Amino acid sequence: MKKSVRAAGRPRQLAMALAVSAALAGAPTFADETSCSPFTPLIKGQEDLVYVWTLGVKGVGDGSDKLVTVDVNPASKTYGKILHKLSLGGRGEVHHVGLSDDRRYLWGGALDSNKIYIFDIGTNPAKPKLVKTITDFVQKTGFVGPHSFIAMPGRMLITPLSNNKDHGGETGIAVYNNKGDYVSHQAMPKGESASWSGKGDGYNYDVGINPQKNVFLTSSFTGWNNYMMDLGKMVKDGEAMKRFGNTSVMWDMKTMKPLKVFSTPGAPLEVRWSWKPGDNWAVTTAALTSKIWVYKQDAKGEWQAHEVGTIGNPADIPLPVDISITNDGKGMWINTFMDGHTRYWDFSDPMKPKEVYKKKIGSQVNMVSQSYDGKRVYFTSSLLGNWDKKGKDDEQYLKIYDWDGKELKEKLSIDFYKEKLGRAHHMKFQARDLSTLKPLETAQSLPAVVARKQ
Amino acid sequence: MLSLPLSFRTARLLTGGGFFFLWGLGVLDAAWAGPPVPRMDFVPPPAGTYKLERIQRATDGAVLDAAGKRRRLAEFTQGKVTLLAFMYSSCADPTGCPYAFTVMHQVKNELEKLPQTRGRVRFVSLSFDPERDTPQVLALYGRDHGGTEQHVAWDFLTTRSRRELLPILDGFGQDVGVDVDRATGKAIGTYSHVLKVFLIDGRRNVREIYTTDYLLPAMVLNDIKTLLMEAGVPLK
Repeated sequence: MKKSVRAAGRPRQLAMALAVSAALAGAPTFADETSCSPFTPLIKGQEDLVYVWTLGVKGVGDGSDKLVTVDVNPASKTYGKILHKLSLGGRGEVHHVGLSDDRRYLWGGALDSNKIYIFDIGTNPAKPKLVKTITDFVQKTGFVGPHSFIAMPGRMLITPLSNNKDHGGETGIAVYNNKGDYVSHQAMPKGESASWSGKGDGYNYDVGINPQKNVFLTSSFTGWNNYMMDLGKMVKDGEAMKRFGNTSVMWDMKTMKPLKVFSTPGAPLEVRWSWKPGDNWAVTTAALTSKIWVYKQDAKGEWQAHEVGTIGNPADIPLPVDISITNDGKGMWINTFMDGHTRYWDFSDPMKPKEVYKKKIGSQVNMVSQSYDGKRVYFTSSLLGNWDKKGKDDEQYLKIYDWDGKELKEKLSIDFYKEKLGRAHHMKFQARDLSTLKPLETAQSLPAVVARKQ
Repeated sequence: MLSLPLSFRTARLLTGGGFFFLWGLGVLDAAWAGPPVPRMDFVPPPAGTYKLERIQRATDGAVLDAAGKRRRLAEFTQGKVTLLAFMYSSCADPTGCPYAFTVMHQVKNELEKLPQTRGRVRFVSLSFDPERDTPQVLALYGRDHGGTEQHVAWDFLTTRSRRELLPILDGFGQDVGVDVDRATGKAIGTYSHVLKVFLIDGRRNVREIYTTDYLLPAMVLNDIKTLLMEAGVPLK
């Protein structure tokens, strides 16, 4: 048995330090943390910790947004316990988080304050430390609402939701380096151009990278005016309901130029690529139309978007939100916020997926993350501060289920209001020992990559 | 071209074997086939048709060259387009240092076919392992690859101590773990790291960073040519 003494690049203001971690045997299995960047090393054994990016609620605890660390390793003496709460000292509509390319840092964004927080999760994973707060995002880019954070080598690709001119949905993409310094930004494609095919609407939401194809795919949502509005008020506002994105965009990753804009109406949200070696498709679900879209290359190599399924009854507006795909690409969890259900879809044939299982998780459910082996499925409740349900339906939780391929069985539930934490939103897993992390396997990877030690 | 006698000298210098031993067997010459390069499932955009952003500044620091002379790393990361990789001579991970060397050799071979690139590109291999990768060891590398007379200069550098190395790693954002025996707490001679190769322009700006899945010879070659064209080198 060996252990590893790691040194890593840190944000500039930090002094170099060494951290010691003991290597644990992590037997590789076959599934994945498929919402991670393909450049981020993965936890292929039992995840030790889950970080929950939590919205502060006035009158609940200190009322501030916070990063909550929970022990989720059943072998741990503190399993199910909240190990750490890192309060940000205010509320800014925190939303999503993303891991750096070496998994030593966690970036978290706030859709209203436009702050981006960088936490050191490598030195002591059970006790994250805030090491930098980026406050120049609007000033540098003109964009508002930093949403998704997906690592590219040495830098972070950031998708914002809005802009500082009219707070509508037209926005762009931005890049910051791993030190937290601005690198570049550009507008989303709008209208038609000789530079890309299709007609852009300028909206953005999530991003998924496929380095083997040198592409990334972005989706679309809505601007600050809508996502900060009360949901009940917004759905009665006909003009507001027109201001949702209806496109997704395939980009050249090297040139950072749009290749093609797809018409995918009704706010296509989370982007996932199938990581099964040899697969060549991505998927999104559209919140307002309940449609599932699959993106793949045709015989000529051109990317095409295909509507392949409908989630629930669109007339009921089930509002599909987060998704989690198995790493063999054969199954996907889809949460529907309004009815509080999670649905397992069989993607054995991605062009003809079908729902095969459904379970109510709570009065509302938003995010879903599955463990690397697919046997544990994590759920949280909050969508947006002003969109969550009211009264007794405003349940706020982290729930962990075991999945045996047939049924979800609840294993752990933490009431985020009872614990005086707030609204539980995005999750990311972490290992206590980073030397156990493994790279993504792909069809293009070397055979030896499977056994590579990171 | 490396020779077998060199390989025997090299092997004797090292106890770890690994990459250096493979090199000594003559497998890292221009004709070396493996570790295989991953299949590139796309056509890379032509050189000069895209912009490489300035991601960060290339960190400076104190280094030792293969002659054991104290130098500044900045001397090796300006004035030319530089491809810099961290490595250690006993690395046996086929997707780590040896893979980076495979790619660098392939890129070097292609650059040597382009007369306009002569003297304008430099490769730098900087060791993670100041204790074992002494200037004496690195001199063996330099004998076959270094020197300003080469079409592509290839400098092999180390540092005087881990203390001098760490700020350089920190600045570049290169993580590394020193594997140690749990029972004794002693280093076992291997390092864990996410492979990163840095492309640096003539003004010490890092313009691209490659990890294993994106370190493809055709892509790196086009990126180098893009930076050369940006600097006014006629390559079209």
